[in-house]
Amino acid sequence: MKLKTSRLRRLHFRGSSCVIGAPYLWTILFFFIPFLIIFKISFADVSDTSQPPYSDLTSYEDNHVNIALNVGNYLDLFRCEDEEDCNVWKIDYDFLNFESVGLNIRDSLKGFFDAISTEFHVTIYIEAFWNSVKIAAVSTLICLLIGYPMAWSIAHSSQAMRSVLLMLVILPSWTSFLIRVYAWIGLLKPNGTINNVLMWFGIIHEPLNMMHTSFAVYIGVVYAYLPFMIMPLYTAISRVDNSLIEAAEDLGAKPFTILTKILLPLTSGGMIAGSMLVFIPAVGEYIIPELLGGPYNILIGQQLWIDFSNNHDWPKAAAIAVAMLLFLLVPIIWYFKQQKNEGVSK
Amino acid sequence: MSGPAPEVKSVWRLIVLALGFFFLYMPIIVLIVYSFNDSQLVTVWSKFSLRWYKELFVGVQQQSEAIRSGVLLSLTIGFFSASFAVVLGTISAFVLTRFDSFRTKTLFSFLTTAPMVLPDVIIGLALMLLFVALENMTGGLYDWLNGMKVEEGTLWSGIHSALTYCASKIAGWPEKGAFTIWLAMVTLTSAYVSVVVRTRLQEMDNSIEEAAMDLGATPLKTFFVITIPSLFPAILSGWLLAFTISMDDVVITQFVSGPGAKTLPIVVFSSVRRGVSPTINALASIIVLVVSVCTFIVWYTMHRKDKKRQREYGMMSVRQKAEREKSDTPKA
Amino acid sequence: MLEHKDGQQKKEVKPPLLVIKNLSKSYIPGVLAVDDVNLTVNKGEIFALLGSSGCGKSTLLRMLAGFEKPTSGKIILDGQDLSNVPPYKRPVNMMFQSYALFPHMTVWNNIAFGLKQKHMPKDEIKENVEQMLALVHMEEFADRKPHQLSGGQRQRVALARSLATHPKLLLLDEPMGALDKKLRTKMQLELVDIIEKVGVTCIMVTHDQQEAMTMAERVAIMDCGEFLQVGDPEEIYENPNCRFTAEFIGSVNIFDGVLGENGSDFMYVECPALQNKIYIDAGAAIADGMKLSVAIRPEKITLSKEKPQQECNFEEGIVDNIAYMGDVSIYLIKLQSGQIVRTTLPNVDRFRKNQPTWDDKVFISWEPDSCIVLTI
Repeated sequence: MKLKTSRLRRLHFRGSSCVIGAPYLWTILFFFIPFLIIFKISFADVSDTSQPPYSDLTSYEDNHVNIALNVGNYLDLFRCEDEEDCNVWKIDYDFLNFESVGLNIRDSLKGFFDAISTEFHVTIYIEAFWNSVKIAAVSTLICLLIGYPMAWSIAHSSQAMRSVLLMLVILPSWTSFLIRVYAWIGLLKPNGTINNVLMWFGIIHEPLNMMHTSFAVYIGVVYAYLPFMIMPLYTAISRVDNSLIEAAEDLGAKPFTILTKILLPLTSGGMIAGSMLVFIPAVGEYIIPELLGGPYNILIGQQLWIDFSNNHDWPKAAAIAVAMLLFLLVPIIWYFKQQKNEGVSK
Repeated sequence: MSGPAPEVKSVWRLIVLALGFFFLYMPIIVLIVYSFNDSQLVTVWSKFSLRWYKELFVGVQQQSEAIRSGVLLSLTIGFFSASFAVVLGTISAFVLTRFDSFRTKTLFSFLTTAPMVLPDVIIGLALMLLFVALENMTGGLYDWLNGMKVEEGTLWSGIHSALTYCASKIAGWPEKGAFTIWLAMVTLTSAYVSVVVRTRLQEMDNSIEEAAMDLGATPLKTFFVITIPSLFPAILSGWLLAFTISMDDVVITQFVSGPGAKTLPIVVFSSVRRGVSPTINALASIIVLVVSVCTFIVWYTMHRKDKKRQREYGMMSVRQKAEREKSDTPKA
Repeated sequence: MLEHKDGQQKKEVKPPLLVIKNLSKSYIPGVLAVDDVNLTVNKGEIFALLGSSGCGKSTLLRMLAGFEKPTSGKIILDGQDLSNVPPYKRPVNMMFQSYALFPHMTVWNNIAFGLKQKHMPKDEIKENVEQMLALVHMEEFADRKPHQLSGGQRQRVALARSLATHPKLLLLDEPMGALDKKLRTKMQLELVDIIEKVGVTCIMVTHDQQEAMTMAERVAIMDCGEFLQVGDPEEIYENPNCRFTAEFIGSVNIFDGVLGENGSDFMYVECPALQNKIYIDAGAAIADGMKLSVAIRPEKITLSKEKPQQECNFEEGIVDNIAYMGDVSIYLIKLQSGQIVRTTLPNVDRFRKNQPTWDDKVFISWEPDSCIVLTI
């Protein structure tokens, strides 16, 4: 009897580990191992002769195992060897010029500034990375500024309207991402809808050049990711206990105080979650800059694709991916912590 | 006392909503309007026409043909990847919420949800490199077996030729194409399913599963008879989410697809890169219509179910008050 | 403790069904949620675990159901060691606090669920379910889903479901927790009625002392994972063995004091808060001068405007506060030492004529046998 139960228990245990095992195995094989491979290849050399186009890290020769780690891929991201490859950033000191108030910091510090070079040579990678982070950060901020009032407005609609409005917010994101970005091409083109309407009203007389600019990329990112901002914000706002707001009112707080001292702190979780959901994918965005952006302000996601597909430099692409991953690790971990806390407080 | 957010009657609220939804819907509406434009130039209105829809469905342009075959491929991949992702995602959600903590639980939960937030280019590159590595491995295995010198007529030579035959079958696996896209999409979308199902599992009252076990149902039976039916709405919405995501993916597919497998988004992306095209407008309008109708149906049935439940409960409290008074008293 | 033991053995002795031996459970190493509990529950008994939240009573119940594994100790039900039996193989059923009715199944299917797991033939299931429905008077609701039922109805379905498989032991987790106050009293009596009709042994967990005392034949008071006292409701109310029990069950006035004179069948206790000594007509085997407390229930204190004709067991004070409760009024009397004494006065007269009012000078007195001596 005893033996039987113990065997059953063992079987049960095996069954449950199989259940755990399936998704575990899948995740390790198709998500964890690929990252190890990226990491490995980022240290390889480009090779034109072999297929796939990168060298092996290890080679076996004369009874010796040679390991050749090529850190050049990473160095190439930061280092410019010849001037032609590099873009030049100039620091403009004019903002230090206060001549009108009889103070000229610029001149008095001139010696100091001359000592350190006022020109930075940055690689296309640094530049692309900087562009990406800038666009992602600014778009996140704009999404927050548009999304918060919208989420608040939805949360304070009548009960019946709430679910309708929420559905309307999600609906665009269920249609194709590609098509939503594509829709803006027709709007932003020199002979597109926006220019046509503005000219018809007589506000402008010549078409504005909006297509293939950073402006178009900003619009595209904000438009495409706005629903991802509104959803967590809505959840956070509707979860705020209304009696807290009433208590604050009762204690004499003005609307602005209620917003800054009660509502914003209580919804900070939603704000972080929403911001991360916009920022992290926006840094690696590829479709939007490819369709709406210009040929000059290349983003890091495009650069990765160019290296991979056009230059066949897989190790470089891998190095870019690793660098990006390291950079994004902080916001990703922040996001996960936030989600975990939410789970606990629930 | 806790209360849900009350309705605020303010003009500002309405203005915010109006502006916000104008921003969200204006591009889509413009897109749809111009799909009925007769002119080849998408943004110059000439007259109402359905010629681009006709072109899309029966046209002989290379683009329309590519779109039609792309739709079929995408639907197939979407269906199979969503179906498999639902299985994987549900199990992983169940493991993460219902099993006692095991040593690598945090890592596991991180790994299963990370594909959701990571940029597509990274996932795409990672999976592509994996598939290439696998391809090399299987190819290498075949070469190694083939190049081996074996004595004829021994037992080993028989085994060897059988092994070589098997290796020749899997050499070059997985070839980049529909299958690798499916693998990639399952990996990506099972993360979404896992999150959706996990949210529902956390909300669900743990005690109904305990009650089932208490009444004699084994854990496995409890999972199928109690947990799965309670999770059904979440599993359904997880499936729909997985389906739309894999129907829509460009970047990862671009990395892992081969020359033969041109899914709908890949076709659209390569044609959109060359500029606006009225056929794409027509296609987009149809997608928007289909998605809207589906979303509306799902939303409406859920909404009605909610309402019905509320109404039943409300009615009951009135109608059954007397009945309850009567029946709550023991009949001696 | 004290000699009030006569008349205890009035009930017939039933054979023991459940034996719990040295049962302990700890979630965090070093912290015991249930601490070395020993208990015997007899066949057909209704037993209540009473304690405030977090005292370990739910953990104990969940160990009996099999949802938690004991850290050490044994659970023996009808001679079978249950410690390593999974919940789905135990002849123990539980009625959950939230009732845990399966939301996607009808009342009928909910009740039939346990029987189906036993692979009972269909007609037998039908017979059993109908019998159960009749038992809880829910015949006409068989096809409803749980969300179409009222709270009391849900409870009865949950009870029927857990009784359907004829378990050896029925566990009730806060059975009235999800009901509103008015319904509770009704359901308490009905539940006991059904349980007694079926004759099942029952262990319930509750934090409501009134519920425990109405429903259970024996009650265990739990605190910090330990049993403080086990006994029938009367014994626990009239003879609490420690301060915690005395204060937890009902309300009580406690006077800290020192044992004065001590005889074989009497003792005097001197309390700093009281002007007169307390005379108790029972002896105790404790040394003179020992610190102890005397507990007196409010309803055992008499309130009068005239000075009582006795030497001890009375005090002078003024009415500090009156709470009108309908059937009785609660008087808070402030003694000269400042201690507040709580007493009740039945509202016999409709207009509360001649009753003391605020700031009146009053005397409180009590009988020698109303005092409970507590050493811990």
